[in-house]
Amino acid sequence: MATLSHNDIAQAIYMASKDKKGHELSDIVHSTVKFLAKKRLISKSESILNKLEKFSNKEDGILIAKIVSVKYLGEDSKKDIASILKQKYNAKKVLFEEVEDKTVLGGVKIEVENEIIDLTIFNKLKKLQEHLTR
Amino acid sequence: MSNNTIVENLKKEIENFSLKTKAEKIGHVVEVFDGIAKVSGLSDVKSSEMVTFVGGEVGVVLNLEEDTVGIIILGEFSKIKEGDEVRSTGRILEIPVSNNQIGRVLNALGNPIDGKGEVKSDKNYPMEKVAPGVVTRQGVDQPVSTGIKAIDALIPVGRGQRELIIGDRQTGKTAIAIDAILNQKGQDMICVYVSIGQKDSKLRKIQTRLEEGGAMDYTIIVSAGSSEPAALSYIAPYAGVAIAESFMDQGKDVLIVYDDLSKHAVAYREISLLLRRPPGREAYPGDVFYLHSRLLERACRRNKDYGGGSITALPIIETQAGDLSAYIPTNVISITDGQIFIETDLFYKGVRPAVNVGFSVSRVGGSAQIKAMKKVAGTLKLDLAQFRELEAFAQFGSDLDDATKNQLERGKRAVELLKQPQYAPVLTQHQVVSLYALVKGYMDTVPVDQIKAFETGLIEYAEAHAKTFIKEVVEKKMWSDDGEAQLKKAIEDFKVSFIK
Repeated sequence: MATLSHNDIAQAIYMASKDKKGHELSDIVHSTVKFLAKKRLISKSESILNKLEKFSNKEDGILIAKIVSVKYLGEDSKKDIASILKQKYNAKKVLFEEVEDKTVLGGVKIEVENEIIDLTIFNKLKKLQEHLTR
Repeated sequence: MSNNTIVENLKKEIENFSLKTKAEKIGHVVEVFDGIAKVSGLSDVKSSEMVTFVGGEVGVVLNLEEDTVGIIILGEFSKIKEGDEVRSTGRILEIPVSNNQIGRVLNALGNPIDGKGEVKSDKNYPMEKVAPGVVTRQGVDQPVSTGIKAIDALIPVGRGQRELIIGDRQTGKTAIAIDAILNQKGQDMICVYVSIGQKDSKLRKIQTRLEEGGAMDYTIIVSAGSSEPAALSYIAPYAGVAIAESFMDQGKDVLIVYDDLSKHAVAYREISLLLRRPPGREAYPGDVFYLHSRLLERACRRNKDYGGGSITALPIIETQAGDLSAYIPTNVISITDGQIFIETDLFYKGVRPAVNVGFSVSRVGGSAQIKAMKKVAGTLKLDLAQFRELEAFAQFGSDLDDATKNQLERGKRAVELLKQPQYAPVLTQHQVVSLYALVKGYMDTVPVDQIKAFETGLIEYAEAHAKTFIKEVVEKKMWSDDGEAQLKKAIEDFKVSFIK
């Protein structure tokens, strides 16, 4: 029997519960828990939930972007970034996760899924150092 | 250079510097242990792609799994922690190459470790490369002269050949390889010595020996020491062959020694087990054959249309208690074009180099041997094999017929003649002279313990009194009737004075 990956399970849960409400939804939750218990996967539920969250975000067009900067950004800048990201990643909604970090010196670093757009002064200096020492 | 010019240059450099911003693929370290990192993210990464860690450490992607990738870290890994950012580079593992590397000692990443400063290089070569195809190749027909009589006469090696040196520990495997490198002086050959998992003291000894012999003028040493992570031992031979290929692409002949591939297989086993790849026989992973076959296939001789040049490989394998049927030895024996089998018993009997002529073969070297050598060595191998059998048989009784006795006496002298001290390569023409004297029976009446002295004296005498013969062997690779007559006379004259 082929092994089920957490991704597959998350995908199946999403498909089953899509557009379901009330009684129907609670039935699905109930049978999901029963399935996980049968397959001895209750201990892995955190990882499955993470996968489920990622998958549902992707399906619903929600993008989570991590922003690293020296100071929290103003609403205007965030709006600008959001519109650029919406276009680039074809998303409907962008959620920000902000991090303050003095070591980047200036500028901003945007992390989306597996990609990073590094516009910080720190990165520029590092690249300049590589260029000069080559 | 004055301070002002330095500042000016820097300013210019900074002005010229432009930074293109683009989205980079990143991942995060999930776990790190024993030189292996599991990294999440890195969605578009390729197998064998180089990645960089925050501290500048380089890694290579080996395993691509559903959620994570398995990366081997090339170098120090104690500063890498969980959550660290990992960036892909888009480049497959490569090594800088240049002609300036000659005479240097490099690590598996191509950085110098001999304290003689930086090596400037302008090109990079991929470490993993598909071996040259059939269309680009040519048959082996040029000899590699090792300077070792037993090998040049009986198990000849040709340019582009892969000849395995196999034997137990401490029996002189490295010595043969080093002698072969030392003998390449003036033979238009670049040598690469790849040391895998060796003690640093041994490496130092070899380096000193090569320097003393003037061999570092055409040799590059690539080393992954035993104190370095297994990942470096794993990539070292590929780094060596990439360097060799850079010279082959210039149309040059290259000799590469892998010392030794048993340790390479062990390093790969370590990495594979840590990456949780399923173990097979002797706990080696399933692709350990491919590990060596793809490396050794890159040794080849290319034809003129594709730039010429060749890579001759001398891989070394260490056996345990002479067991040739273990996993790695059988694999490498079947990949290579022959093997030089070194035997412990012979070594302790004083036959050095302790080459077992019966078990050693060269599948393609015969066509690379020069005509003169072929003529003198023709029956020698068979004679020696018969001698070994008779020798065992003769121990039971003393009543032997004359033919057997003669064969035994000839065999004893042949064994004695093929003995040779370390670091004392013999020129091909001199080998032909002494072997000629042996196979034509001139040595039959010389006492066995005086064979060495007879040989030395004869070579000296022939240099002075058989000039035509020697010149013909050097230039035309074969002697004429006149030359032969001259040598015969020289040997007879010398023998008279020697026996007196």
